Amino acid sequence: MRLVLCAIYVFIGLLVFASPNMSRRELLFAVPVPPDFRQSRAGQHAIRMFRLVIVVVVAAAAGALLLSPASFLSATAAIAPIAIVLAGVISFRWQNHALAAAAIQFTRPREAEMSVAPDNLPWFAWLAGGPFVILATAATWLYLHWDQIPARFPVHFGADGLPNRWAERTIKGVYGPLFFCAEICAWVLIMALAGWFGSRRSRSRPVMLGGVIAVEYMLGLLFALIAIQPLVGIPIWLVVLSPMVILIPLIIVMTNKMSRPWEPMDPTPNECWKANVFYYNPNDAALFVEKRDGLGYTFNFANRWSWALLLSLVLVIASVPLVLA
Amino acid sequence: MAQGPRIRIDAASGIPAVRQIVDSLRVLLVEGQLVSGTMLPSVRRVAVELGIHFNTVAEAYRQLAAEGWLDLKHGRGAMVVPRVAPVVANEARNDDLRHRLRGLVAQLRAEGVSTASIADELRAMAKVVRRS
Repeated sequence: MRLVLCAIYVFIGLLVFASPNMSRRELLFAVPVPPDFRQSRAGQHAIRMFRLVIVVVVAAAAGALLLSPASFLSATAAIAPIAIVLAGVISFRWQNHALAAAAIQFTRPREAEMSVAPDNLPWFAWLAGGPFVILATAATWLYLHWDQIPARFPVHFGADGLPNRWAERTIKGVYGPLFFCAEICAWVLIMALAGWFGSRRSRSRPVMLGGVIAVEYMLGLLFALIAIQPLVGIPIWLVVLSPMVILIPLIIVMTNKMSRPWEPMDPTPNECWKANVFYYNPNDAALFVEKRDGLGYTFNFANRWSWALLLSLVLVIASVPLVLA
Repeated sequence: MAQGPRIRIDAASGIPAVRQIVDSLRVLLVEGQLVSGTMLPSVRRVAVELGIHFNTVAEAYRQLAAEGWLDLKHGRGAMVVPRVAPVVANEARNDDLRHRLRGLVAQLRAEGVSTASIADELRAMAKVVRRS
């Protein structure tokens, strides 16, 4: 289990390490820069310094995980990913601050089509229903094999790979993960639709929608495996690693597509980006805009619907004690 | 896929967004790219696309409605309506036109556009106007 956790943490570290490449050419550490700035001495230096911090912290986290005594393993396993992500955030902010002087303001006219032609979703949007089918299939299968489900089965595992929480064969115990995942998928679907209709038409928009649907599938598969695990006894490491099957290709495809210079950056005003990460522009009707700190879209926090969507996520999380055993 | 008529605004131009929208839309209306009976997109959609506030688009629609180009019905959007150009005395109209053109030429020259380019554009425009 140490090796599995170590592999996951190294993977997280690799993602953070590669994060400077997971953005548009015109953005470096969320700072808007000329497209060729990355190749400049200042750009290369910033990337090197950022990565140096990540390599040191990931090596320390992996070492601690592999060498720590069994009594400290749980604590180390909990702290290591937090340390990697925190190092990424701090190092990102450090380089963001260092490059502030190189920032430019994107300028280009914006256009609007003066027709009432419907803003149709792309053909693949119907695939968003797939994860619900997966969850329903898992639920049906569990229902049909109800008697074969153990009366008591593990639902949570420690860093050592051993179970540390159990559930009983009740509606909540068996179907809880599926209910919870359905809630999350519904929320993700609402986000996808809000992202489609609440953002400007661009070539990035269908990519973003496809990415969100892929995340929905990843969650659906993961929770379906968790739900049927007591019945089929899938090794826990396989369940833990299963999201990678979708996550890795998703990151590669998204990075490839969204970092393509197929249209200029959306000229959102620099002064509306708080810490270059949070967009707050009361004079922009868009609910979602293209992110500056990576790929995808982010909220316009001046739009009250962004807070409503965040509140709905809080409600989904708050429902955990109600739906999970 | 064929695209419909488009308007554009440039936040860096220094011209208020509402005026840019009104001017762009008026061009489409005068040139007949938006004909009577055409429904315009919702204020929300245009505001999202242009990255501006809903009220700015609503104000632009209101100004064009006041000029007689649009009919704004609550909950039913903005529709282009037939418009009869107001009758203005020739002399006053020519004075106004001359004044506006001088202002525009002065602005373009101040922005560094050459007098030859301006003259060429005005000649080309004159031909278009004569044809219409």
